[in-house]
Amino acid sequence: MHYVIIGNGVAGITAAFMLRKRDPHAQITVIGGESDYFISRTALMYVLMDRMNRRDLEPFERRKYTENNITLLRAWVTALNASTRTLRFADGASLTYDKLLLATGSAPNPAPWPGVAHTGTGILNFVSLQDLAKWEYHLPATRRVVVVGGGLIGVELVECLRHHGIEVDFLVRESWYWPMALAPEEGEIIANHLRRHGVQLHLGDEIAEVVANPARQLTAVRTTQGRELPCQALGACIGVRPAIDWLRNTQTPPACNRGVQVQADFRTSLPNVWAAGDCAELPTGQVEQLWYSAKRHGELAALSMLGDAVNYTPPLFYNSAKLFDIEYTTVGVGGPESYFRRLPGKDVSIRIMHETDGTVTGFNMLGSRWDHAWFETWIAERRTLPHVLKNLAQAQFDVEFGRVSLKALGVGA
Amino acid sequence: MIRAGRAQALLHNVKNRGWAAWALAALFTAFYVALYFTEAFTPIAQALGLGSKWTLYGTLYTIAVTAGGIHVIRKYRHNRYQVIRTLVVIVVQCTFAYSIPLLLKFLHQPEYYFSYFWPLKFEYLTPSYLASVPLPFVLYSVVGSLVLVPLLAAFFGKRWYCSWVCGCGGLANTFGEPWRHLSDKSTTSWKIEKVTIHAVLIASVGLTVLLFFTYGANKSDPQLARFTGEFQSYYGLIVSSILSGVVGVGLYPLGGTRVWCRFACPMAALLGIVQKAGRFRIAVKKDMCISCGMCSKYCEMGIDVRSYAQANESFTRASCVGCGMCAEVCPRGVLNLVQIKRAGQ
Repeated sequence: MHYVIIGNGVAGITAAFMLRKRDPHAQITVIGGESDYFISRTALMYVLMDRMNRRDLEPFERRKYTENNITLLRAWVTALNASTRTLRFADGASLTYDKLLLATGSAPNPAPWPGVAHTGTGILNFVSLQDLAKWEYHLPATRRVVVVGGGLIGVELVECLRHHGIEVDFLVRESWYWPMALAPEEGEIIANHLRRHGVQLHLGDEIAEVVANPARQLTAVRTTQGRELPCQALGACIGVRPAIDWLRNTQTPPACNRGVQVQADFRTSLPNVWAAGDCAELPTGQVEQLWYSAKRHGELAALSMLGDAVNYTPPLFYNSAKLFDIEYTTVGVGGPESYFRRLPGKDVSIRIMHETDGTVTGFNMLGSRWDHAWFETWIAERRTLPHVLKNLAQAQFDVEFGRVSLKALGVGA
Repeated sequence: MIRAGRAQALLHNVKNRGWAAWALAALFTAFYVALYFTEAFTPIAQALGLGSKWTLYGTLYTIAVTAGGIHVIRKYRHNRYQVIRTLVVIVVQCTFAYSIPLLLKFLHQPEYYFSYFWPLKFEYLTPSYLASVPLPFVLYSVVGSLVLVPLLAAFFGKRWYCSWVCGCGGLANTFGEPWRHLSDKSTTSWKIEKVTIHAVLIASVGLTVLLFFTYGANKSDPQLARFTGEFQSYYGLIVSSILSGVVGVGLYPLGGTRVWCRFACPMAALLGIVQKAGRFRIAVKKDMCISCGMCSKYCEMGIDVRSYAQANESFTRASCVGCGMCAEVCPRGVLNLVQIKRAGQ
């Protein structure tokens, strides 16, 4: 049995180790185009800030692949023929598989603005090792950067740029930071925090046009509110989409919509082909694009490839982030009402979302640490707000001596 | 990516095994060789009115811990564990490891370091030393080394000693802050560490037993007495001088700050065994790790913390000194230092 996995990201590598765990004798090949070894792209920012080097990005020691007899192949796959079970690579070589997992991940959304076609250099993303190299190449000659996109990658890039003393104009289309996840109060805490770190934050503004000089170098960005922001680089952090463009035009494309459409057992429409991670579109139409979901998918897709019955439905949503110095934990979904408390004068707040009858539906916590497992339990048990407030302390996960005082937060008051 | 500017380039160089780091390592090593094996510092010490070269060394050590500690407190001021821990380190160094011994000497008492215990301070549990100091010091040495230190370690882990009280750990966590990330994280070095540190522990315990035995035999066996004497002088030379001083601090800019603590300290070995059976552990929040690796990178003991975090395994490693830096640098708040009650406790 030859298992082939396209993509050496977290979904692909998790799947490979799971396959090995269950099948000691199968041949397992993982193909990656971006890097020789699995890397943690969540840590790209620390390399850009000189807090890590590239080798530190590898979550596993290299010996682990040889010990587990997993073949890593550095190549870009360009074609898939499911009837002959053959892959073809950019260099013309080919590889046959018995079972195939597509774990190609995400690619950044392309810059949609007028003027992009006339701009040769200066518009950069921040999701891959290659993007990191481009930033390292551009930064020495860079004084001002515009970053656009009110999500996580944007704010991480802004942090890196401020670390290097670069002036940053941060454009967020919405009227507060990250409305997908945060309410206006939290958005304001983040906004003020960013401003204290010297970020020029422009809310409710977006790019109208990018401007390049005759050498096709980016020189400025014009916004819909009429700002002209001179810059030497533009960080386009406007989201990602499944990296499946190459699949759409191949001989035997699997059924694709936004991503590769999979059943609840991660099978695609093609025989012997599975898909997992950011590139997979679930039967509900959902595309999950988090580290955590990719890890889950990889494990379950491998089990499905091994013949286990797998019936995946996404668990209760949770995520975490760090926005400059502010840690953020979220679990569950919003509700019609919410309980909000902020530590006076500090970037610390809690928000507990609930139904009108008090049943808790979600949590949004800024600036302190929480064990989300408790939140998940309370939501699953349909606990009400008074119960949650009474037991909130047991979910606290702050460092010793650093536990945030719930009393000072005004919990119970 | 290195920040712009010559000063930043030099800083990166010093912190990342560049030529400046090698130069500094050579300087530190030369300093320790001169200190331990020559009298080069004696005239300087006398000119400064400090009496002996060891008092000069103690003064420099205390300055390094205090200055480095102030830097660390500023850097991690948002983290109360780091602030309180570092304050304790500074206070212990300035009192128990510096001014109190000097005061005792001034009062014609033994120059006793209340922050050091056997087997790190090997002679505190040797028969000849115990016979030479007043009873309170004997009691403190015996009870401290054999009861107090292991008991606290069983409850709080070895951290209460290794990263709160110990002078070696104190220097590492203050003055050594720029180099903490240089520790080797490979499983190979973990294997080596287990062999070397336990070998030193065995040598240290063996020598102690031998010393008492020889003392009890009251020099009736001259061959045994000579063997014990030679063993002790080799132990003093290799472990106390070369490993803890010359190698321990000399290698800061190349091998990280805890080479001695990790590979050779008999006290760390002993407390590590207690820690494995005790209540201390690093709790890992389930399914929240993003494998970024900051925890592993900044672990001074070379523990691949990420391998546990991404596998959702709360863990206790014998070598962990509980400095808390993995929890500090984790961008997702996955890690926490805790005491738990194990089954049966």
